[in-house]
Amino acid sequence: MNSNIITLIISFFIIVLVQVFLFNNMFIFGFINPMIYLLFLVVYRFDDNQTLFILLSFVLGFCIDFLSQSGGAHTIASLTIGFVRPLLVKYSFGVTSESPSTFQNDLRKRNKYLFLVLLILIHHLLYFIIVYFNWNATYLILKNTILTSLFSLILIALISRFYKKLNDT
Amino acid sequence: MRRIIGALVQFRNPVLYFVLLGLSLLFLNGRSHFHQYYLEKYSLYFSQSFYNISSDIVNYFRLKKINDKLLKENKILKSFQLKSNGISLYPNAIKAKKRFSFKVIDANVIKNSYLNQRNILIIDKGHEDGITSEMGVISDQGIIGVVKSVSKNYSSVISILNQDLKINVRLKNSSAFGSLSWKGTNPNDFQIDDVVINSSIIKEDTIITGGMSSFFPLGIPLGKISNYEPNTKSGYYKINASLFEDPSQVYYVYVIENYDIEEIKKLKKDILK
Repeated sequence: MNSNIITLIISFFIIVLVQVFLFNNMFIFGFINPMIYLLFLVVYRFDDNQTLFILLSFVLGFCIDFLSQSGGAHTIASLTIGFVRPLLVKYSFGVTSESPSTFQNDLRKRNKYLFLVLLILIHHLLYFIIVYFNWNATYLILKNTILTSLFSLILIALISRFYKKLNDT
Repeated sequence: MRRIIGALVQFRNPVLYFVLLGLSLLFLNGRSHFHQYYLEKYSLYFSQSFYNISSDIVNYFRLKKINDKLLKENKILKSFQLKSNGISLYPNAIKAKKRFSFKVIDANVIKNSYLNQRNILIIDKGHEDGITSEMGVISDQGIIGVVKSVSKNYSSVISILNQDLKINVRLKNSSAFGSLSWKGTNPNDFQIDDVVINSSIIKEDTIITGGMSSFFPLGIPLGKISNYEPNTKSGYYKINASLFEDPSQVYYVYVIENYDIEEIKKLKKDILK
């Protein structure tokens, strides 16, 4: 339990730093800026304290916003993900006796990817809506959401595998 | 209290979420001018509709105050209007710098009778407010009557709906003089007597005060001619007229004070001697 908290804190800081200093400087095709800090919201234990999780997701978004000099879009998007994540878990993994306690523990690939896609899509959609904040930019919002989600998904899927191995050892 | 805390604990996640969402919106508002602009636009839109409702309600309760203010303003405008009416009808008025000897006092009607043959009104201003008998009383669209007797705070007014009251009038487009009086039946039926048959009359011509009595200044529009026929036997027209305003439905009136009334009265006496 104790090591769990330490892992949580360390991964929080690493994710923030990596996002801000590495991925925020990455512009795939000139405009795609993958957001891998969602990894933190993915790997947080499903059965852990939900209230703390909302607070943590707020702090995470706030840190990203603060360090990347953006408005408050990251904060709102990740806070919302923190709030709706239990619903996403229920929807994508189903309410069964074998509902997983962590993302990495589950072996059902389809459910895992469904969860990831939903989470990333919702987050990105919300993020770009807040960034553009204009009805006229609907096309831009959708385009950015879909393309950025694709790259975020690939990166998060890759890194979560690595995370799993790290955790196991 | 315990229940509120219980509810807060039970719904702590949504509560926390919305509190933090509000915080982050504030954060967004503070950091980005673009979002500030849009958020202000939306908040203005919402607050405007709320303000509209609340201002409607507040306005309703302020109506009396506004009414009083408008009445005061009307009083001033009325005196200007009377003055300009007079000036426009005297061809050489501007050159001659005609002095205007009338002053306007506003009053509320507190009793108005219109069912008798000789009707009177009571208004809520008396000699404390500078009202004396034999002052003219007008409303915003015509004449109401002449002050009869005055007490400290109230005065009685002989209504225009009184067969004894004859008002000196003239026609706007033909300058024919006559006297207007009530027929005694319908509050809108009036007749004009003493118009000589050789003056030309246009149908629907506006009737204005003639300025020959000391009660009313020249040129207050009263009503219009509804029909007329020449009475060749007597040499006068028989003219039926209607007023612009129903005198039985008047609540705010203006009393006209004539500064020169004593002077005129004295002259009249001198003639009679």
